[in-house]
Amino acid sequence: MKTFTKSAFLAAALVSTASIATSETISIAIGHQSMCTDTYTAGIVVKELGLLEKYLPTEGRYADVEYDVSWSDYSSGGPITNQMLANKLNFGVMGDYPLIVNGAKFQETDSLRTLYVAGTGYNLKGSGNAIVVPVESDLYSITDLEGAEVSTPVGSAAWGMLLKAMQDNGIPTSEYVLKNQSPAVGAANIAAGKIDAHSDFCPWSEIMEFRGTGRKIYDGSETGVPYLHGVVVREDFATEYPEVVEAFIKAVWEAGEWIREDPMQAVTLMEGWTGVEKEVLYLYFSEGGHLTLEPSIKTEWVDALRFNHGVLVNEKAIPPLDFDAWITEDFIRAAYADLGVDYDADKATIVDPAVSNMGLPMEIWHARDGVSSYSTLPEFLSAVAVMQGTGALLNATYVYDVESGLKLFGKTAFWVKSGEDYATFLRRGEAEAFASANGGTLVTFDEAIADFITEG
Amino acid sequence: MAVLSTLWADIRTNWKTMVLHGLIFAVLFQVFMMIALIIRFQAFPNYVTFYDWIGNVAWIIESTPSWSDMVPIIWEEWLIEIGKMNYDYGTGISEWSLNVVPSRLIVLFILGAMVSLCLALLRSDTCTTAPSTTLRATTGLGAVLVAMTNATMSWVVCCATPSWVVGLAMLGLGVSTSLALETMGPILTWSGFGLLFALFFYLAWRKSRPSLEPKGVSINA
Repeated sequence: MKTFTKSAFLAAALVSTASIATSETISIAIGHQSMCTDTYTAGIVVKELGLLEKYLPTEGRYADVEYDVSWSDYSSGGPITNQMLANKLNFGVMGDYPLIVNGAKFQETDSLRTLYVAGTGYNLKGSGNAIVVPVESDLYSITDLEGAEVSTPVGSAAWGMLLKAMQDNGIPTSEYVLKNQSPAVGAANIAAGKIDAHSDFCPWSEIMEFRGTGRKIYDGSETGVPYLHGVVVREDFATEYPEVVEAFIKAVWEAGEWIREDPMQAVTLMEGWTGVEKEVLYLYFSEGGHLTLEPSIKTEWVDALRFNHGVLVNEKAIPPLDFDAWITEDFIRAAYADLGVDYDADKATIVDPAVSNMGLPMEIWHARDGVSSYSTLPEFLSAVAVMQGTGALLNATYVYDVESGLKLFGKTAFWVKSGEDYATFLRRGEAEAFASANGGTLVTFDEAIADFITEG
Repeated sequence: MAVLSTLWADIRTNWKTMVLHGLIFAVLFQVFMMIALIIRFQAFPNYVTFYDWIGNVAWIIESTPSWSDMVPIIWEEWLIEIGKMNYDYGTGISEWSLNVVPSRLIVLFILGAMVSLCLALLRSDTCTTAPSTTLRATTGLGAVLVAMTNATMSWVVCCATPSWVVGLAMLGLGVSTSLALETMGPILTWSGFGLLFALFFYLAWRKSRPSLEPKGVSINA
């Protein structure tokens, strides 16, 4: 009976797939997230630039093949995993916590598996996740959250970061009220001041900062746990079409190169594709931005994923995950070899913003003239003053946190004036400490600019 | 044996009503969830998507080697998605939605039919030794347990956990409580069905047992 039923369903399925078989079409379905910046190099950029099509194999057994590439956009990783289980998606692009759930859920089955084949990008210390409060809030530090209502998308990387951040700061779960809120709802509640704080993933915190509704009080980098995103593929697909998987990874690599080549043009185009403001995207994708675009699978990333799995096991009792069976470098090594790029060199290189961003110039994004750079804060402030004096529209300004090297919007940084010099900080606490240690004072961005406004 | 015969006789008598009630229950539960969502979020849905359920199921069967994997995957397949898209950020995010899932419709249909049978048995129960409110409450409890664990509302909050507890969290239950309940879903479902089955047999047993009315005429009559 079982065989008969399956045969009947198979017959029905064959009718619908008969055309695929006869025309030798390989369907490639990818699930991505256009509202999660760190997935862009394996998602929206590859899609819009047609990079996968560029690298798809056309020789040998693929000589007569036609490709049917389809992209589906999701607001989170969970549904991508479900669609992959149903074999409606072959590839999935998502953040670290959903990736782990993906691997574990597949390994929980008898016959299905996914493979983690490449990263998309990373931040070594965990920037991208952040805790934000309403801009007018009197909360300035994570320790202020004791007794507060904090929301987060439960199950996301931001949720994992929040749990660890609270633990690190000695705030037990009984001492704050955790609410489950989507990014959009959390952002709306921050804007309306309906929640004390909201923890979210990239780029929601920066969207709130850019729109002037929220202020970061905690950056994910303080947890010290890398924040990364990656690509998973169904194992059956990868086994049947390994060259297609390699082509996908080549596309990911080229997407990163394309962004690095001209970040301003890239984010301007990405704004059109995703609806996320280009000034926010610049904070991620420009030189010194939150995101290092590089897909290699580093030992540190595997360790971070193992750590995250431990968090999920404790909080959500998710299934075990055999990392050795799940993570493979075979495809990425082959892709790099074909591209003529040294994989081991990429794998050995880890970008730490605190080190690599030291000495990077501040930037002003003039609406008409584009981005200009300034090596010192006085030069930067002077330029802002001049531009504002002409009534020019400035899209955004960018400075760096002295403590972490994190790129910040000039308008959201805490400014310290010490003699003729200035310093910028992510958090007020560090700014105050720096000011008292250096005989400086806290000033607003506008006050700092005012120092450089000349009469006449 | 007498209990089963009684039960079978009641099912044969009431099967049309049971089918009707099953259908009504499955549909009304979707309406109830939609109303709950609208009230909870103070907004009406602004999009609807229909899915090729039959085609998707056929594809899953074709591409999933193991039957044991196939069933739970098919179990999660959607037919209709009705929800609210938030366009404040990016190109739009589905903030919340009601997912009409055929597998859950079947469960809810069975539940509705079982409740219908329970109520029919209760109506025909002439014994007054057990308060009927207790039996009705037991029916209600069983129904709530099954229905609750077959809620198919989703919210973009749970990146990694699309599950029945999302509905609970969305309706205001604490995150930690919701997560704690997640693994209890199947237990709660079967507990609900168990309660209803126990009630069937209890009511059928009462109906089928010999009459205990005293013979003869009461002295004080």
